[in-house]
Amino acid sequence: MYIIVSPRLGTPGDKFEPADGINVQALIDGGLISTDKPKKSSKVKEAPEEN
Amino acid sequence: MATSVYLSNPTVTINSVDLSDQCTAATVTYTVEALENTAFGSTARTYTGGLANNSITVTLYQSYAATETEVSIYSLVGTTTTIVLKPGSGAVSSTNPSYTLTGAYLESHTPINASLGELSTIDLTFTGGTLAKVATP
Repeated sequence: MYIIVSPRLGTPGDKFEPADGINVQALIDGGLISTDKPKKSSKVKEAPEEN
Repeated sequence: MATSVYLSNPTVTINSVDLSDQCTAATVTYTVEALENTAFGSTARTYTGGLANNSITVTLYQSYAATETEVSIYSLVGTTTTIVLKPGSGAVSSTNPSYTLTGAYLESHTPINASLGELSTIDLTFTGGTLAKVATP
C-alpha cells in the first residue's frame, strides 16, 4: 500500500494506486510516495495496579 | 480557421507526477516507421507501415526542492514509465484529447544544465512505448 506524499500526485495522505506502467520505485526514491501504512490512533495502556 | 494557442493550459504528467507548472514545451511525435516495398514494375516508391516508434519531448524548469523536478525525474533514467499530455486542463473531450505514452524509455537526463544569469532547464526525450489517444470523457 502506497501513501501520497507530494501534492503533485494528489492529496497527501491519501492512498496511491499506481496505474499500469508507472515506475513506483522511482516515486519512492524521490520521496513522492511512501510505503507507510496509515497511522492508527495511539492506545495508552494503563499502568497495572499494584497490590 | 480553428487554431490552438498554448498559454498556460496544457497538462504534463510524468510517471503520475503533475509537472505542468514546470513545463514550457512539449511535443508528442506519433511515428509508424515506413518500410519500403517498392518492387520491379513500380513506377514510384511505395511504403508500408512497420513498427511504431513514438516519442515525447518536454522542457522543464529544473528545481532541486522537495517533490519538484529533480526528484521526480532522476530515478526514471534507464527505466520505462508513462507520460500523459493534454492540450488543455479541462476534461478530456474531442477538442481536448489526452495522449498517453506507456512504456516510454528515458535514456538520459541533465541534472545540471546551468548558464550564468538564466533559469536552469532540462530537456527530456521519452522514446518507444505505445501511444494512445483518448478523445472521449
